[in-house]
Amino acid sequence: MKLLKSTALLSAAILAACTAATEDSSESSEFVLPVAFPSTYEPLPSETVLIKNASIIDGTGEASDANSILMLDGKISQIGVDLEAEADQVIDAGGRFVTPGIIDIHSHLGNYPTPSINAHSDGNEVTSPITSEVDAEHGVWPQDPGFDEALQGGVTTLHILPGSANLFGGRGVTLRNVPARTVMGMKFPDAPETLKMACGENPKRVYGDRGGPDSRMGNVAGYRKNWIKGAEYKKKIEDGDEPTRDLQLETLAGVLNGDILIQMHCYRADEMAVILDLAKEFNYKVTTFHHAVEAYKIGDLLAENDTCAAMWADWYGFKMESYDGILENIPFVHASGACAMIHSDDDKGIQRLNQEVAKAWANGNRAGLNISKDEAWTWLSTNPAKALGILDETGTLEVGKRADVVLWNADPFSTFARPDQVYLDGALMFDREAGLKPVSDFRLGSEIAP
Amino acid sequence: MNRKALLITAASLLASPALAQSVFLNDATLVAPNGQESQVDIAIEDGTIVALASEVTPDAAASVIENAWVSPGLVASYSTLGLVDIGAESSTNDTSANTDLASASIKASDSFNPRMVHIGNARRRGIMYAAVVPSPAGDTIFGGTGLTASLDGSDGSVLNDIAMVHIALGEAGARRAGGSRGAAMAQLRGALDDARRGFQTQDEGDVLRRRDARALRPVLSGAVPLMISASRASDLSRIIDLKTDYPNLDIIVVGAEEAHLVADDLAEAGIKIIIDPHENLPDTFDSVNASLDNVVAVNAAGVDYAISSLSSLGVVKAGALVQNAGNAVGNGLARDAAFRAITSTPAEWFGIEMDDVSQGDRATLIVWDGDPLEVMSAPIAMYQDGNEISLNSRMTALRDRYNPSVESDRPYKYR
Repeated sequence: MKLLKSTALLSAAILAACTAATEDSSESSEFVLPVAFPSTYEPLPSETVLIKNASIIDGTGEASDANSILMLDGKISQIGVDLEAEADQVIDAGGRFVTPGIIDIHSHLGNYPTPSINAHSDGNEVTSPITSEVDAEHGVWPQDPGFDEALQGGVTTLHILPGSANLFGGRGVTLRNVPARTVMGMKFPDAPETLKMACGENPKRVYGDRGGPDSRMGNVAGYRKNWIKGAEYKKKIEDGDEPTRDLQLETLAGVLNGDILIQMHCYRADEMAVILDLAKEFNYKVTTFHHAVEAYKIGDLLAENDTCAAMWADWYGFKMESYDGILENIPFVHASGACAMIHSDDDKGIQRLNQEVAKAWANGNRAGLNISKDEAWTWLSTNPAKALGILDETGTLEVGKRADVVLWNADPFSTFARPDQVYLDGALMFDREAGLKPVSDFRLGSEIAP
Repeated sequence: MNRKALLITAASLLASPALAQSVFLNDATLVAPNGQESQVDIAIEDGTIVALASEVTPDAAASVIENAWVSPGLVASYSTLGLVDIGAESSTNDTSANTDLASASIKASDSFNPRMVHIGNARRRGIMYAAVVPSPAGDTIFGGTGLTASLDGSDGSVLNDIAMVHIALGEAGARRAGGSRGAAMAQLRGALDDARRGFQTQDEGDVLRRRDARALRPVLSGAVPLMISASRASDLSRIIDLKTDYPNLDIIVVGAEEAHLVADDLAEAGIKIIIDPHENLPDTFDSVNASLDNVVAVNAAGVDYAISSLSSLGVVKAGALVQNAGNAVGNGLARDAAFRAITSTPAEWFGIEMDDVSQGDRATLIVWDGDPLEVMSAPIAMYQDGNEISLNSRMTALRDRYNPSVESDRPYKYR
């Protein structure tokens, strides 16, 4: 599956498809996912920065011998041992840690921003269990103060999802964690589209007395009925018909076409197994189960299906479907050979995802596993990048990738560690010592404003 | 920054089974109730501390643990442990009740279940004691009377069934009282005055029924703390005013995100606060000035404070308490101050006995595999009054059944 498509290519393809359809409607054509609200993200100006004498966790999962890294034109241009290079800034890290920027695959910053007042509730379109036509990016408030705090925790990329009230909740959006006036200014250029779906208690609770679904049976019937519609819509287009554009079905067709990645809220092991079969019935792929509190019970099944699990370190017990949470979920899934990662779903938790991974890592090894910190780091940036289809661009410190880099004042697995500097595309966005940090409009005029 | 924190290795994290009868802690770091750390050897036999000194010769039969940390039992100063199995299932949730028939007199101890799985799950993470606090519902600012408990899981684990009366002010209190802070404060003052008067019939109070007024009487006298949920600096100032009018009140404010703006006044008025060092966002307009610096500022001002886990309370229960304290240290608080805020300070407030570990004592302590303030560390043994308390829980049972490092051909339900 091709995950990254450039806007320009897509636009050309749309034009081609339209032309073909106009010329001869009986000819078969391709379903091409239309693109709208394109990214206007531009990296901030950057200098050439050489960081030397660092302890580097590069995100590949392997221990790195490298102790220096060169950021040039916003990219990682070199990483190695005792590098020497012309640079605007040479930083002697003095043994401090350097890591990839952290990626949170599950955040509601912007669409459930603080302050959490009614006017800010923009994450769930609770009007129908099927809302694949809505898009999280249209509910994101770029002034959410949470973005700024997350940056200070080393988060450079994050994925904002609709909530889990609906079976098909709507499109998600992957953002660069940059201060911008518009959401388009934050959009990760050419990152694949995603679709949020939800299992279990939430849809049946929300719609139980509003026409259903009222049970897990109804949930699955709801998915199936709509995948049938989505497949029909896609086929019509492929058959050369020109159906009235239907945003709801367009998203589903985009999933079936492999353009849109499924990010699915699902807690219980048995339910995830049902969903994996559902995906086989309609020939699509579940990229990631989110929350996945019981993923540790089916690590083998996740590995077999190449489906990732995004999990908390210790949240559990707030709903029946989260009652079986254990502190070893992430390491157990990892040890089963599946793609495991941390996620926050929380404006406080996103500020210290490194600690959440440290907890999970320590508990896994305490239970008899032997996972290195280098491996465990993949739960923070590498696997989230993979699950968002952006691993070619970020998630690890490898030559040619975006220079999304965090310089820590200590081992990031320690509670006491804090980012000293955070770079996005090589641009310094946060500098603890210099007091450089973004401040939301909302914070202005408060007594804690700078 | 404590360098030792960085020296934790995977080897030190290996699982330890329940400790033997005779245990020798070699080169342990002992954290006293006042938060001071010292390097000692400790020999424990049958739950009694038989030797404690900088150099002790171990008994040959003792199982030796190197470089452990020893701390007092941690105190969750605000929790719902034992009141709720599953937050979203109201049938299992006794944290609040919407009734006109009782308010301050609702006793959480009547709801408390020491066998609830969350108690074992929190204990496993070092929480030995908890304040268990009921919350308001309906149109009263009163949540009811809370308790303190040991988390040993036994029937007799309630330490004090009248440990505090909890009310809400701020936005939450205003909502309960009909829509304004003024109404909430009027309800509180009326209730305190009702507690002061004699009743001829049960309905003659301005705010409270006779039974609830009686329940509030020990609060009025200061014998029982009044726990108040509030965040905004202006609300904290009104609480300081309240203390002037009712000087005997023993007030503990929960939340207090804007305490740093009125820290000196809080200290002078002797008002205690429970804060979560993770709270740095304007969750509501009550905490527009929430800041990571809150804990450092109130510490500097001499406020009597405890650290709790409030921001994630509903989803991880009290278990992650050391992380909250550790992050206070990461943000500039002294280590001993952070330790006191999760041990001796709340213990003293609630009358929970917490003594120095001394030779000859029946042991009441936790043995950790690393610095307790580090998220990578965990308890490996817990003693209370000489008895070793289990660190197993439903979580560890699930862990053991599904542990991928354990080979088994048996179906999971037979493991």
